[in-house]
Amino acid sequence: MSLLRVERLSKSFGALRAVDGVSFEVHPGELYGLLGPNGAGKTTTLSIIAGLLRPDAGEVVVDGRPFSADPQRAKRIMGVVPQELAIYEELSARENLEFWGRLAGLTARDARTRADELLAALSLADRAREPVKTYSGGMKRRVNLGCALLHRPRLLLLDEPTVGIDPQARLNILEFVRGLQREGTAILYTTHYLEEAETLCQRIGILDHGRLLAEGTLAELQHRLSGDRLFVLEGDLSGAAPETWPGFGEHFQMIQRTDRQLVVAARDRRDPADCLRELLNLPVRVENVTLKRPSLNDVFLQLTGRELRE
Amino acid sequence: MKRALTIGHHDLRLFLKSKIAFVWLFLVPLAFVYFMGFANRGPGDPANPRPPVRVENLDDGFLSRVFFDELDAQGMAVVDPTNRAPATAGIRVPADFTARVLGHQPVKVEFLEQAGSGAGDAALIELRVVRAVIAMNSHLIELVTHQGEGALTNETAWREVMGREEPVRLEARFAGRKPVPAGFSFSLPGILVMYLLMNLTVFGGAALAAERRNGVLRRFAMQAMRSGELVAGKLYGLMLLGGVQIAFFLLVGRFGLGVPLGANLPAVLVTLLVFTWIAAALGVLAGGLIRSEDRVVAVCVLASLLMAAVSGCWWPLEVAPAALKILAHALPTGWALDALHQLISFGAGWAAVLKPLGVLTGFAAVTTALAVRGLRV
Repeated sequence: MSLLRVERLSKSFGALRAVDGVSFEVHPGELYGLLGPNGAGKTTTLSIIAGLLRPDAGEVVVDGRPFSADPQRAKRIMGVVPQELAIYEELSARENLEFWGRLAGLTARDARTRADELLAALSLADRAREPVKTYSGGMKRRVNLGCALLHRPRLLLLDEPTVGIDPQARLNILEFVRGLQREGTAILYTTHYLEEAETLCQRIGILDHGRLLAEGTLAELQHRLSGDRLFVLEGDLSGAAPETWPGFGEHFQMIQRTDRQLVVAARDRRDPADCLRELLNLPVRVENVTLKRPSLNDVFLQLTGRELRE
Repeated sequence: MKRALTIGHHDLRLFLKSKIAFVWLFLVPLAFVYFMGFANRGPGDPANPRPPVRVENLDDGFLSRVFFDELDAQGMAVVDPTNRAPATAGIRVPADFTARVLGHQPVKVEFLEQAGSGAGDAALIELRVVRAVIAMNSHLIELVTHQGEGALTNETAWREVMGREEPVRLEARFAGRKPVPAGFSFSLPGILVMYLLMNLTVFGGAALAAERRNGVLRRFAMQAMRSGELVAGKLYGLMLLGGVQIAFFLLVGRFGLGVPLGANLPAVLVTLLVFTWIAAALGVLAGGLIRSEDRVVAVCVLASLLMAAVSGCWWPLEVAPAALKILAHALPTGWALDALHQLISFGAGWAAVLKPLGVLTGFAAVTTALAVRGLRV
């Protein structure tokens, strides 16, 4: 049974439809990535799941019971790591952790013990007594993460937990998150970093303009592009009109086009050599053709017509 | 409830971690108490002032001593000429004072005006001297009538007569208006009320605005706790902060500035506690309604100063125009000061402050309800 089930969730702010009929599930021990550009509706979706916003329609089910039926129970199951650094910078990491532990219902002694465990696990023990304001960005992010884990949540919601930190600090956090997942925690991870979603998440949902455009494992998403390879044609394509090329539309699907580059996927599982020959025979001067495995960005391109990085 | 206590203790720790908090909680208000008390200083007990009089006694007979005791009984603080303490007038008793009185001869006691003392002070002292002379004559007649002329030379007999209960007593009170609080007895409650309001609204409101800005309020909302617990915790933390300031001021006021805290200290504490509740709720309300910390500070400081000025924190409301008195009683500061002056300056008890306490509790309930409704994460 899924630990989190989101069913046809919708939320509007005035005329803006921020979340539009989003549905997905997260199972125990699964790391589910919600991938999308800024403004796609990731944080709004997560805020509804965490109980900060009321949905206009749809339902959030946590561990088999609707969130609305018993919000306190659902919140006890969850830990939420907000995108912003929601910590007290004047206090030390230990004081922050112990405070949020007490609010999560732990006794003073249990909060102290659990804070010790987390400080060690997050590699913060050395500077646990120093004010957080003296920490690096990565350390603050780890404190922010730790504050949601005091009560050992079975479901963890992470809203872009690596925004604005250096690559090494990001790797540390990702490794810690993988460890939580291995221990059986169900994790909903929102990000706009393709690499994070590709390397971290077992299943990925692609969100844009409030709609879940596709979901599945990385392989399943790549397979949406009619196979596991893409052809990249480079040359002067400024005056080209691919839609008029004979047979092109029947055999290839255009993924991206610029004045210098055309990315296409084959519509069937023909031999790549045959595809290459056909592409080289197109009525356009091609300087170079390369073959590559489709990335999440290509999937996103195919789904939205634009790059995730735009 | 446990979570509310945790939030309250946590907030108090945060407030006291800020060095600037000590300046605004203790140093600045204390300076204001001193300067306002000095500016509004009075002759002592506002209901029965005791003007200091410098006495030069050239007589070594017992009657001059009896005369000074009578002056003291009539409400004058007798100051020794060697004392450098300021006096508003002087009295010189001649060397033959006792001998001439006992010899049935008129005697002149010189009344000297001190440079710089006001006409009102001089008139008050003159009145007291006249009353003392009349009292001396009354004692003299009583002695001669009951014990014969021989008793006049007996100091013990004089003092026995002086110590008797007066057969007739005239109790005089201010007609048409209340007595005016003065000195530190006036400034301490006024400045305490003003700074309680200012500090709790500024610290409470700005802290909430900061918590909203950095997402901590949203983190609170994602905990398995009710919003009422959050508001209760915030109120409790601010009331603890108010308690620290109240304790400091009452201790410094009582032992440092000599302010009599009245016969009913529990009533003083209850009044301050209820007012602290109101100020805390206003702080949470300000933090709930105003998003920017800078605006919270500006609004709360301005509102606190205005409410303090209108309510008599800066000058006695007794000398203010009638319209200001009406306006003051539309505000919690006015009612709090009313109760505190009753208790501290005029020695009133519970009965006198029940009405102000009732009104203040009403203010507290309304502001708390508004704070709960106004809190946005």
